[in-house]
Amino acid sequence: MAAKKLFGISQRRAFKRLVSNNRERLYRMAYSWTGNPHLADDLVQQTMLKALRNQKQLRDFAAAEGWLFRILANCLTDYRRAKRELQSADDIEIIEKVTPEHQFNDEQLVRRVRRAVQKLPINHRQVVTLVDLEEFSYASVAQILDIPVGTVMSRLCRGRRALRQHLLEIRPQKSSRTAANIKRIK
Amino acid sequence: MNKDDNISEEQLNAFVDGELESEERSCLFNEAERSEELDQRLCQQRKLKELVKHAYKDVPAPKRLLAGGRTGTGMVGLGVAASLLLVLGLTAGMFMRGLFEPAASPGSNTALGNAQSVAATENYILHVVSGEPQQMRLALQKAEELLSTASSGHPRQVEVVANERGLDLLRSDVTLFSDEISALAKEEVIFYACSKAIQRLEEKGVEVQLVPEAIPGYTALDRVVIRMKDGWQYVKI
Repeated sequence: MAAKKLFGISQRRAFKRLVSNNRERLYRMAYSWTGNPHLADDLVQQTMLKALRNQKQLRDFAAAEGWLFRILANCLTDYRRAKRELQSADDIEIIEKVTPEHQFNDEQLVRRVRRAVQKLPINHRQVVTLVDLEEFSYASVAQILDIPVGTVMSRLCRGRRALRQHLLEIRPQKSSRTAANIKRIK
Repeated sequence: MNKDDNISEEQLNAFVDGELESEERSCLFNEAERSEELDQRLCQQRKLKELVKHAYKDVPAPKRLLAGGRTGTGMVGLGVAASLLLVLGLTAGMFMRGLFEPAASPGSNTALGNAQSVAATENYILHVVSGEPQQMRLALQKAEELLSTASSGHPRQVEVVANERGLDLLRSDVTLFSDEISALAKEEVIFYACSKAIQRLEEKGVEVQLVPEAIPGYTALDRVVIRMKDGWQYVKI
């Protein structure tokens, strides 16, 4: 079959391994976006399935990780579209096991940060988590979310500003200065 | 005007994210040496980034995500497996009585957003353990039948998980049903190949090649237990 010749068996196996190896990273990202482990897991399953089905669309194997996260972002977009953006930030309940350990500072801190992240608009949340959790470059985030690099920077800026206000309890910075000050971005 | 005022938030972000070129990075370091306020802003940005990282360092992964990888050994692992088997056995008995019959009325769903409530009435996991071609064909026919009999407005989800000799269904060099699997996959049926079954075959020196639609990585047991906990109907074939 022509398709098999184009995408050989060894490549297919390598691809499956790659998808499988990235499952936990995808899950962590999906969880940070949704705050819901069940939904996150479903999104990751959809992502894996779509990736395996559409593996022939991937031209550059080196770009596979970004491609996987892009599929994940698209799955979330589809899900939210289908649900007509039902959940506002206030509606989102972060599902976590209630354990006695919650009384410890670390648990409280984790919950506080997750709540603050969940309160961000989804567009800002995605950019912040892709940059902070996966350390994707701005250019990669732009590709994953299909937005210009400038939009990545402005969303990151707004997202972090909101997080700073929630978490660090400092007065907000005076203004959002233009990105024109930056001469070069890698 | 304070030099610090010229440093934008975007610049600070680019700095902590490693997006600045070396020259500009050095300039910012030098500015921070001179300005306590700028130094503090940089620290806060770094702290913020680390806080977000820390908050998601350990996320509450569903049990199934742990399947297929290196699992714990010894009595603890055996005990967990035995418990799962017990749960599976008990609950399977309850579910087997209602094979192929939706359990509850769609009206019991509380919200469109609650995927689990939809799942409780509509979705099925088919567990293929038999290596007999007629049993495999039956499983695929049941999957097709379940899709075609789903009520309108509630698309039914169907998963097929194969282990033991049933894994042959999803082995590309062995299966007699690659076309049927491909057709069902296009209808959103998801096929899982049990990681334990693959591992066992590979330990025997068998090179396992799966059809493109099969997803490896989960054990059949975990998959079934999780879906049953989600309220899915279980059918063993």
